Amino acid sequence: MIGFLGDLFINAAFVSAILAAIGYFIYAQNDTNKHFKISNWLFGLQGVFLLIASGLLLYVILTHQFNFYYVYNYTSSDLQLKYLISAFWGGQEGSFMLWILFSIIIGLGLMKWTRKPYRGPVLFFLTLTQIFLLSMVSGISIGDFQLGASPFRSLAEAMPNAPFLQSNPDFVPQDGKGLNDLLKSPWMMIHPPILFVGFAMMTVPYCFAMAALWKRKYNEWVDHALPWTLGANVALLTAIFLGGYWAYVTLSFGGYWAWDPVENASFVPWLLGTAGIHTMIIQRKSSTSQKASIIFAILAYVAIVYETFLTRSGILADSSVHSFVDLGLYSQLVVFMGAVTIIGLGLFFYRYKELPSQENESKFLSREFMTFAGAMMLFLIGLVIILGTSSPIIGRLFVENPTPPEVSFYNEWTMPLAIIAAIMTVLGQFLFWKRQDAESLAADLLWPVAITCVATLATIIIGDVRDIYYMVFLLAAWFAVIGNSVIMYRLVRQKPLLIGGALSHIGFGVLLLGILASSAYNEMLLDESVKKYNAAIERGEVTDEQGFQKTQKVDFLELKLNQPKIIDDRYKVTYEGYTLKDQERPGQQEYRIKFEPADGEGEQFVLNPQVYPMLSSSSQSDIQWSVDPDVRTGLMSDIYLYVAGSSFVERRNDEAKEAAAKRRGNASTAEDDSVQVQEVNIGRGETIKVGAFDLTFNDYEEADDQQLQDSTIVAVRANLELTQRGSDSSVPIRPLFSIYVKDGENWTYAPPISIPGYDEASIQFTSVDPSNGGIDLKIRGIDTQVEDQWVLLVAEEKPFISIVWLGTFLLMAGFSISIFRHWDRERKKST
Amino acid sequence: MKPKLIIGIIAIVGFTSLLMYNFGNSISTYVNFEQAAGMEGAHVVGQWDDSEEYGFSMETKQFSFYMEDEDGNVRRVVYPKPKPNNFEEADQLVVIGEMQNGVFYANDMLMKCPSKYNNADEAEFQKAMPSKS
Repeated sequence: MIGFLGDLFINAAFVSAILAAIGYFIYAQNDTNKHFKISNWLFGLQGVFLLIASGLLLYVILTHQFNFYYVYNYTSSDLQLKYLISAFWGGQEGSFMLWILFSIIIGLGLMKWTRKPYRGPVLFFLTLTQIFLLSMVSGISIGDFQLGASPFRSLAEAMPNAPFLQSNPDFVPQDGKGLNDLLKSPWMMIHPPILFVGFAMMTVPYCFAMAALWKRKYNEWVDHALPWTLGANVALLTAIFLGGYWAYVTLSFGGYWAWDPVENASFVPWLLGTAGIHTMIIQRKSSTSQKASIIFAILAYVAIVYETFLTRSGILADSSVHSFVDLGLYSQLVVFMGAVTIIGLGLFFYRYKELPSQENESKFLSREFMTFAGAMMLFLIGLVIILGTSSPIIGRLFVENPTPPEVSFYNEWTMPLAIIAAIMTVLGQFLFWKRQDAESLAADLLWPVAITCVATLATIIIGDVRDIYYMVFLLAAWFAVIGNSVIMYRLVRQKPLLIGGALSHIGFGVLLLGILASSAYNEMLLDESVKKYNAAIERGEVTDEQGFQKTQKVDFLELKLNQPKIIDDRYKVTYEGYTLKDQERPGQQEYRIKFEPADGEGEQFVLNPQVYPMLSSSSQSDIQWSVDPDVRTGLMSDIYLYVAGSSFVERRNDEAKEAAAKRRGNASTAEDDSVQVQEVNIGRGETIKVGAFDLTFNDYEEADDQQLQDSTIVAVRANLELTQRGSDSSVPIRPLFSIYVKDGENWTYAPPISIPGYDEASIQFTSVDPSNGGIDLKIRGIDTQVEDQWVLLVAEEKPFISIVWLGTFLLMAGFSISIFRHWDRERKKST
Repeated sequence: MKPKLIIGIIAIVGFTSLLMYNFGNSISTYVNFEQAAGMEGAHVVGQWDDSEEYGFSMETKQFSFYMEDEDGNVRRVVYPKPKPNNFEEADQLVVIGEMQNGVFYANDMLMKCPSKYNNADEAEFQKAMPSKS
């Protein structure tokens, strides 16, 4: 019933959107207010229908109705509320719905604020994109063709060939598959929604550009579109930042950026949108670049749809750490992409002849030229990234079945372009606020250049930079920071609301500094012996048993419990044990890794990396572990580490394997037959090592009389404490020792006490040693050898990650100030 | 034609051809283990062969496993990093590295995992059945 209603409301929204689009089209052509009003109602109705459908989807998720495929596939009944809510956008279908919801909210804003002649066409195109998006979740079948995939389809509909469903179509599983453990993160709650806000907002400049072409009003549209484009830009940047930070602090990807297709998918639209912002700004100021503004506005949205296609059609399956399987939307996505591209560029070229073009070319040293060139740089960077991301398609020109390009391809092409762009930001800003010729510009730039040189030299000396390329990079980045700071300083004193551009450009320079420092000077934390080994590998001196040269270095830090290691003469690192955190995830361990300064002076800190079994994929006999890194953030450098292995994890794996072997009935290996027995003597207050445990004998205890035989003459318990070495929790064990009289003879009664969690292992209190007040114990089933407790870490020092974040924040702040500035102006105009 | 236009066209053509040339060089094609011999940075697609021993060795500090490529060749793969988070879950692996002496030394490894945008395949679904009933 709910499924039927859900589908009904989605398709009602779909139909309303189609009708609204028709109405807006008529309004745009004939300027009939009646049609505008009706369409607005239909648009609102579409929103209401979709809101109800979303409410229903959320309802079936929250009430665990596993007969729905979507609910079964992305949730389970033990999921916390916040992750149940995030499961709404955990799959493609729900995330499409979220995207449309945001788009509708934006449509309401456009309805209110957009004026004639643009508002008809703008709303028409916005509704058109919503029709395409709604078609992805419609789920209607027309003959053999299925339009989209509904989030409300049942298990039987989703898997028509499953035999158990054929025999019993009403089968409902008891529990769902659950959300992937890696997605159970607070970041999952905010990263996708913000991304879709960005996607939805980036539709607006496209709509305005199309409206401009339709209505042949090529100038004023940028005033309206600018705040929206800036907003889309901030949203995308925030989403990119959150994604990068998520990847860095909770997924063990090792960094904030990996040129993964999914990351690129949000980055390219941002670059093109930013290029569009540049051309829109000069179009506003100087009435040039009309063509470029339209083209970038179109391309930014096309990029969003193209990257949506790449990431959701299954075409990138081999090249991404994320994974995408075809939902059967391939052809629909192609149509969507084709439509926005052909309509956009088609209308552009249809109108091309009458588009205003510039009479005389801009001089090289003019704000028009510099800003336009800056936009081109952003465009070229975007182009390089699109090319790399499209390798599964474009690469076929070169080879069959192409692989993604090496990461160096991206770095080698984008970084030089970024260097040029950095220099241009300063020239552009100095020319933007004042018309200058070469001479006055040179005079104006004298001090910034001088300070830049000093800063660069200082950085080169302090950072011991040897590479010429890095030096040029540093020079450009410092130039951007310092040059734009000078501009900002001047602007703050005149009109603070104008500093958006300068501030963003400072952010860009800071970001470049951060990128260089954090990627070029990333360092593994290794101890001396490993370093020597790696150096030998580099020299080609290490060979394996067969005499072949080894080429792979070791990048691990191995620590034994409470045995510190000195690293780089800077840190003394100690593994201090672990804590079981069952309440967060069953079986989760939190390790304590203490860092102290090697010379003993300065601050010490403890990092707590975690290891946990993945609930969604572990079984009793085969535990799949996942890790959660810990990062110590600092102004100068971050220390990033995660646990690659530990004695605890190894032991749990062994136990799981043994248990599995036993269940299969072939446990009778020679080893298992002879349970290990050891006898130990332990004094009062002493602690001894037994296998993987520490055993402490605290004191004697009075025995509880009720359990004893009547004829007992001596009865005492030992108060023992058993700790898994390294763990900070222990179990009390109280074995009994008693002597009773039977048939005139003394008998001992001392039952073995089994160790909680280890069914095979037990401790028996065999006698009291009168000589020293200690006791004798017989321990069964625990390894006689003392096991070392260890942890294997991947630890890195990442300098100046904080600078990367700082640059990103400055960019966000700059763009946000610009939103206010342009919005403010628009509001004043409309009143 | 104006000289500026000519310079512009040359610049665009130059940039594009250099970019495409470099792009062509930085991509390669997926190969099987036999073809990977003698290649640097070979990409091999395949599946984890779970019938063989696998695991991380504390002694060599390497993760090793057997992988079957798409043409059915099974080789040992050595990866000098810890076992990736969801290795067992992956239904497809891409290893990037060199073949040496019958062993593939992977410098990088990608996993195609059932994650955010995935559907349950039926086999997996059925496997989950017994514990449900």
